[in-house]
Amino acid sequence: MKQRSLTQSMSWLHTWCGLLLGWVLFAIFLTGTLAVFDRELNVWMQPELPTRAVNQTLAAETAQRWLEREHPQATSWNIGLPTERAPSLSVSTGEQRRGVRTLLDAQTGEVLEARQTVGGNFFFRFHYTLHTPRNIGIWLVGFAAMAMLVAIISGIIIHKKIFKDFFTFRPAKGQRSWLDGHNASAVLLLPFHLMITYTGLVIFFLIYMPAALDVLYDGNRQAMQRDARAGSVQQQATAAQGEGRAVRGENTQAGGQRGEGRGEGGQRRGEHPVENAPLPPLADFIAKGEAHYGAGMLSALSVSNPGKADARVTVRPLLGSRIELTKGESLVFSAVTGKVLQAPPPSGASQLTQRVMAGLHFAQFGGYPMRWLYFICGLVSCVMIASGLVLYTVKQRKQAKGSRTFLNIAERINIASVAGLSVACVALLWANRLIPAELIGRGQWETRVFFGVWALSLLHAALRPVFVAWREQFYAAAALCLALPLLSLLNTFPMDGMRVGVEVTSVALGLLLGWLAWKIPASARSAPARKPRAARLAGAEQ
Amino acid sequence: MTAIAFPLSLTLAYAGILLICLGMQRHWKQLAHPRLPAQLRPACALLGAASLALAVYTCSFIWHPGMAWVAWFGMISLAGLALLLLLPYSTRMALGLPVAGAALCGVAAVWL
Repeated sequence: MKQRSLTQSMSWLHTWCGLLLGWVLFAIFLTGTLAVFDRELNVWMQPELPTRAVNQTLAAETAQRWLEREHPQATSWNIGLPTERAPSLSVSTGEQRRGVRTLLDAQTGEVLEARQTVGGNFFFRFHYTLHTPRNIGIWLVGFAAMAMLVAIISGIIIHKKIFKDFFTFRPAKGQRSWLDGHNASAVLLLPFHLMITYTGLVIFFLIYMPAALDVLYDGNRQAMQRDARAGSVQQQATAAQGEGRAVRGENTQAGGQRGEGRGEGGQRRGEHPVENAPLPPLADFIAKGEAHYGAGMLSALSVSNPGKADARVTVRPLLGSRIELTKGESLVFSAVTGKVLQAPPPSGASQLTQRVMAGLHFAQFGGYPMRWLYFICGLVSCVMIASGLVLYTVKQRKQAKGSRTFLNIAERINIASVAGLSVACVALLWANRLIPAELIGRGQWETRVFFGVWALSLLHAALRPVFVAWREQFYAAAALCLALPLLSLLNTFPMDGMRVGVEVTSVALGLLLGWLAWKIPASARSAPARKPRAARLAGAEQ
Repeated sequence: MTAIAFPLSLTLAYAGILLICLGMQRHWKQLAHPRLPAQLRPACALLGAASLALAVYTCSFIWHPGMAWVAWFGMISLAGLALLLLLPYSTRMALGLPVAGAALCGVAAVWL
């Protein structure tokens, strides 16, 4: 076999890694970018819900009144407080993640009926599972992310003049322009591409690389997490008392202490009835939580054993007061005495590192300005991937040798995975408004519309001439984006800033998609004009 | 200050990138007025770096230091991309954008 130079072999690697995984990567990046505004999309997709700002103290009072009336016997209550990005009050009973959420009007305490919807969460979940069973999806996405890293590194190696061509873009010059556009969107946003890909892998480090956990902790994840926490020695001791989480350790201890007087010391709570004790106003715990996390930084309250003497109130913070991802963190109070039973231990160095990386990926910090930076950077990533995919076909088309069949297939898949997915994403929003609100299993129908439209886009791409298919699908996406506000005119739900924001963004994206479609020529022959699309893409989909 | 810190940071980031771009031979020829002495070129690059540094400072009015750095990376990347897209179409706009940005920030500062 002929010896190949480093650049040649890297180029080969870049092409195949980029092309074969690029189709998946584009879907991951586009849905991830949309998921930056998942909560806003949630709100838009439930137009029945009011979004006027309600203060959390009032909401907690309302929720407590409702829960005391409706579920006095429940073993635990969960209250999702209204926040800036999720302005509705929700309550549930039982285990936090399982219970059926009931939405309440924070002022009157009436139960609100909202349509069932997959919401913006759909994009979020698709982003890391590709709508396959969770574990399979995480592995698939992890594999794609590794391929992305490989493509980034090999791309840097084969790029001949990174610094000289830093600001070089020559539009309307065919393949040259595509390469310029691909290079520029990759190089200028290199910190973002690297950061988002690498931190994405770090989130599930225990799934991807379980060897250390298996060897050192015998696969016991909780034991590892206990060690990873810096926390005071005392806290670690209490945590170790219960076999599981620190919370449970505290719980047993607290129960035991109270029981001592009645000769129940050392026995597990639950075997003997605990005295009743009225639950103090939950609103008080908002102030207590805010003293710890800062004003307006709470997201949820939960109460275990409400109405009993051993009731505990857990206060959960909003993500985003710092870069570190503090998912699952909480502050636990004794409901009756109001004392802090358990404060979140500070992270140790290794856990902090992992959580800061995860936080960088989740982008919950820094408020809306940061969110917009992430959103636009994410769109540029999509453009970078898409331009790479197109560059492959532009290059191949010029080559006489090589398989036409594969080129043909690649072109069709490109269309469906780039333009088709864009249509499918906005079709999901349309489905949300057009499927009857009362339909049972509505969420599933929305999902079916999404995948149905996507499948149709592949069929359409297979049947139409390549350029026509590109154009028609981008026009379809543009039209759906532009007409999205019309859907809101069909019904009489009150509008508010957040929902208007979603629609304005949709219109802006629609204009760019329309412009893109308009610039695509009717066929490859009529086309030097087609070529600068890389550039337009780069500017456009922003 | 916090209200205009975001557009101001963006303006500074763009100006910094533009000046660094001017510091490159190829783009100096493309952008600079022909009568300007070529000795100014390295000074432009230096000034650009200073402007970028200033952008971190203005970012810190909006965010904690750690977050400010994250935002700063995003801003200079996007500023670079904006410049790249403007260059082949309108050098005048590429050069005028920071002036417009500064004017906007000035008006906002007075108005707010």
